[in-house]
Amino acid sequence: MASVMQKLITPLASGPAEPPRNKVTIVGVGQVGMACAVSILLRELADELALVDVVEDRLKGEMLDLQHGSLFLKTPKIVADKDYSVTANSRIVVVTAGVRQQEGESRLNLVQRNVNIFKHIIPQIVKYSPDCTLIVVSNPVDVLTYVTWKLSGLPKHRVIGSGTNLDSARFRYIMAEKLGIHSSSFNGYILGEHGDSSVPVWSGANVAGVSLQKLNPDIGTDKDSENWKEAHKMVVDSAYEVIKLKGYTNWAIGLSVADLTETLVKNLNRVHPVSTMVKGMYGIGEEVYLSLPCVLNSSGVGSVINMTLNNEEIAQLKKSADTLWGIQKDLKDL
Amino acid sequence: TSTENKHDPHIWRLEFASHFSSLHSSIGVLKSMHVFVQDLTDELALVDVIEDKLKGEAMDLQHGSLFLKTHKIVADKDYSVTANSKVVVVTAGARQQEGESRLNLVQRNVNIFKFIIPNIMKYSPNCILLVVSNPVDILTYVAWKLSGLPRNRVIGSGTNLDSARFRYLMGEKLGIHPSSCHGWVIGEHGDSSVPVWSGVNVAGVSLQGLNPDMGTDKDKEDWKSVHKMVVDSAYEVIKLKGYTSWAIGMSVADLCESILKNLRKCHPVSTLVKGMHGVNEEVFLSVPCILGNSGLTDVVHMTLKPEEEKQLVKSAETLWGVQKELTL
Repeated sequence: MASVMQKLITPLASGPAEPPRNKVTIVGVGQVGMACAVSILLRELADELALVDVVEDRLKGEMLDLQHGSLFLKTPKIVADKDYSVTANSRIVVVTAGVRQQEGESRLNLVQRNVNIFKHIIPQIVKYSPDCTLIVVSNPVDVLTYVTWKLSGLPKHRVIGSGTNLDSARFRYIMAEKLGIHSSSFNGYILGEHGDSSVPVWSGANVAGVSLQKLNPDIGTDKDSENWKEAHKMVVDSAYEVIKLKGYTNWAIGLSVADLTETLVKNLNRVHPVSTMVKGMYGIGEEVYLSLPCVLNSSGVGSVINMTLNNEEIAQLKKSADTLWGIQKDLKDL
Repeated sequence: TSTENKHDPHIWRLEFASHFSSLHSSIGVLKSMHVFVQDLTDELALVDVIEDKLKGEAMDLQHGSLFLKTHKIVADKDYSVTANSKVVVVTAGARQQEGESRLNLVQRNVNIFKFIIPNIMKYSPNCILLVVSNPVDILTYVAWKLSGLPRNRVIGSGTNLDSARFRYLMGEKLGIHPSSCHGWVIGEHGDSSVPVWSGVNVAGVSLQGLNPDMGTDKDKEDWKSVHKMVVDSAYEVIKLKGYTSWAIGMSVADLCESILKNLRKCHPVSTLVKGMHGVNEEVFLSVPCILGNSGLTDVVHMTLKPEEEKQLVKSAETLWGVQKELTL
């Protein structure tokens, strides 16, 4: 007796299903992970999405909630499991796992808590997706990108930290608001260490190629009567402020990760400020990850843009490198 | 003024006319434009004088409705179909022939505009006019004069496309996506456009800072040829396929997006530049402008070199030389 399906549909082609071409895995289904997942789904970047976490109920609930939206999406397969086999054949793996920054807690204090988690996660990811590109989001992102690189055994161009991609986006938003224009029309980069010691490169800040520093040579200094330096301070304080108000940040970071994912998946060769291995640049001798403008494509970090930094900016990068190395050298079992 | 049958429609109207020229006229431009603007508008109206072609284009689009997000596509020779448009894109006019310089098209197109613009204004008195027809800087001036609209509501597509082409070529040279390559071509759209080399940058790194000869004849890397290729682009494509359509369509859709979504993005478009950069005549030239839902609200003042300003002044004089002879 033929079933409804057999009566309704006549299959023509059989055989094993084709593997996915643009599979994205999100590790960690907290607020940040889910914001990344939704941003990536709405941008239609993946043909398969996998979610991994240790809290099974929440994981399943999040997966179901997304699957129920399938009618409105272009990602036909959404899977989730505690077991990493579900992540096999991923092109991009976004790591958001880890404990969240508490109110008032500096990023550096999170370190050892998150290293222990990564020691479990990273080898599993690489086991099932040896050709993937990793995007590390968990904080402190620069240290954890280094940790991920070490634990993964992947070449350095395939391990990227979300770094100052978000800081730069916040900077562009704040500066553009001051000028009354759209943030995409304000160009400016924040580089170096994500967080308190990030470096705003004032010499590059421009609108339509017009350098703001040429219009106001004091920009970014303490003697600037317009106090443009305040914009950078607001960027640094942003995360703390949002965390204080709503308990966490997620939307902006999710959107910024989707932006990176798009460049990687579509092989665009766009420039993004992301955390990459900077040993040998700007006089840095240690193996540390800091954010620089990188040209991203389907192989990961294709190249790095050489910035013309002033002595003070270079000194800040070196100082960050020293601080990061100070922490990294004491980490166990890498 | 309220409309009797709709609730504040954001009608986007596209117009083309092939009055005097060859058969194909601006259909190519039209084709690409409405493909690219489909998600920006809830109603699209098309107008032209060649009724068959007009009807064919509209039907072809309507047949694609299943795949579009624009619920109403209308077309007619009669301008009443354009009522209550928020943005009106004017591509009407004779197409540039192979080898024909833009300035030669002028009087042909002015006569067409004398019919079109008042009709547009009659039915959409509060619209924003986006002029694409060439020579665009002169015709934007003409549209401004004939419409009676304030200067913030009459915009010429100008060097938006020249800059896009420049950024594409720059991207090819550097192996980087055009959106990460920044360069501005301003002034008169076409042969005398001005590449502002001092602003050319990637990630805020000034390329001229790395190569001070950039843009000059002694530059070993011959970046100047990038600008020359931009100027020659239109001629080359016209020679090969008869007209250009896709890139201009995409660039216009980009401008419309900023206007309709009130983004306040900065674009190089043609606006009234009297009083800027040493220009004394009432002419339209492209400079970086902020676009939003009330049109062109601000101009970004570029720091230009004396030679660059001289070129703008020279273009202004040339344009005024033509404009003052026109009967409007």
